[in-house]
Amino acid sequence: MTENSIQNTPAQRPGGNYFGAVLAVAWKDLAAELRSRELLSAMLIFALLVILIFNFSLQLDRTTRESVTAGVLWVTFAFAGTLGLNRSMAIEKDRGCLDGLLLAPVDRSAIYFGKAISNLAFMLIVEAIVLPVYFVLYNPRNFFNPGFLGVILLGSIGYVAVGTLLSTMAVQARTRDVLLPILLFPLVIPVLVSAVQASMGFLSGQPFEEILPWLNLLLVYDVIFIAAAFMAFDYVVEE
Amino acid sequence: MSTQPRALIVLNVVSVILLAAAYYASLVYAPLEAVMGQVQRLFYFHVATAWVGMIGFVLAAVAGIAYLWKKDLKWDAISLAAVEISLIFFFIAIVLGSIWARPIWGTWWTWEPRLTTAAILQMIYLAYLLLRQGIEDPEKRARFGAIYTLLGGISVPLTFVSIRIFRSIHPVVIGAGGAEAQGSFSMAPVMVQVMLFSIFAFSVIFVTLFWHRMRLGSLESRVEQLKLKVMQ
Amino acid sequence: MDTPDTLNYMLAGYIVFSVTFFGYLVYLWRRWRGLQAEEQNLKEIEANE
Repeated sequence: MTENSIQNTPAQRPGGNYFGAVLAVAWKDLAAELRSRELLSAMLIFALLVILIFNFSLQLDRTTRESVTAGVLWVTFAFAGTLGLNRSMAIEKDRGCLDGLLLAPVDRSAIYFGKAISNLAFMLIVEAIVLPVYFVLYNPRNFFNPGFLGVILLGSIGYVAVGTLLSTMAVQARTRDVLLPILLFPLVIPVLVSAVQASMGFLSGQPFEEILPWLNLLLVYDVIFIAAAFMAFDYVVEE
Repeated sequence: MSTQPRALIVLNVVSVILLAAAYYASLVYAPLEAVMGQVQRLFYFHVATAWVGMIGFVLAAVAGIAYLWKKDLKWDAISLAAVEISLIFFFIAIVLGSIWARPIWGTWWTWEPRLTTAAILQMIYLAYLLLRQGIEDPEKRARFGAIYTLLGGISVPLTFVSIRIFRSIHPVVIGAGGAEAQGSFSMAPVMVQVMLFSIFAFSVIFVTLFWHRMRLGSLESRVEQLKLKVMQ
Repeated sequence: MDTPDTLNYMLAGYIVFSVTFFGYLVYLWRRWRGLQAEEQNLKEIEANE
């Protein structure tokens, strides 16, 4: 909110205030995590364990493995993502940060975007580590092509957009940890289906026109749900 | 306030009659279908309950919006009643559909778009109930429930589309080959009659059940309030 | 064309429907009775205070 005696610094101009608030919220989480690394290590170890379990539970020859790579990776990211979303919100609530943030004279949605960005960052960092590890272990073809990486990004964005909002609700329930996956998974099915199919497409070198419907669906989902979550957030945190 | 209003008593009687009539219509009055045999009769109840279950979900979503707008807990009670009853109806629809599919397509389940979306919708209903169970404050419970119904409502069409595209790329390979195509059968006029009657009957039954469930909800909140008063 | 004998499936379906539907009615009724009893109790406690 601008007052008369405002100085013309970016963080204090009207538009700058919002954006500044978003970055401040996001940076708060990232900086805290850079110091403690508790969230990232938990997510990472979990993700690597899931990959390991897949290796033993799905005894696959090379060709079959090619076809399940996308699915295995996305299941891993979905579960690790849930872990991150849960912990991120729980830390917020337990330290009373959420209430403090809500008192700040800034649009509520800025808090949502800030949290979503930090959650996305955590998920991307985990993915950035898991992918090379998977590559070293299994040597899949076409792995680091831009299309595949783009799908990972788009899918993570959709997942985190809905997940951040739902985790804000779930953290306030008694059944907090178990509730988030139950709430989240039915809603992100379009993301998982599209992301896996598009990933498979890029990894197996399918022509772009065949992958396009999936990318479109991902984009539509991301746009719709970022908008929906952004509008709903006000209702979730109102007192 | 535990005696039923006259209108509800009338509805009770009407519903019983309609249900009995639906049993009769589907089991006796409807002709035997040549291609599938007796199991086709399940179709009437399957479609009727599925249809009514869908309406219930829409009702829950609309009531959710109404709650967020008006903040009157009555809308929340409507949402909850609608979801609970739709959960039952949809469960019936899915199971009947599965039983019907087994002798016809040779499989208890097929990942075709409508069926899969129905299963996911059922999950969303259950998630809604679990969300409510975990929250004690009635106002917060209502608010969160409403938001979840809305988000669920937005995701369901997207889910349906995604599975449709998936199926067009990966058609059914199981023995039933073209299972979805075989799913339809031509309905004689008598069958259409029975189908429409079933849908009508179950709609009335839904309204009656809904009313009863609403009364139950009111009693529940009265008891809650009494508990709070007595504990002081 | 031979009409297949799917009578057992049909019966299974109607049984599932009936059990679920009437089971839900019974469930509602029992909840109602339970709550009524609770309401009675609480009213007595309130009256005695």
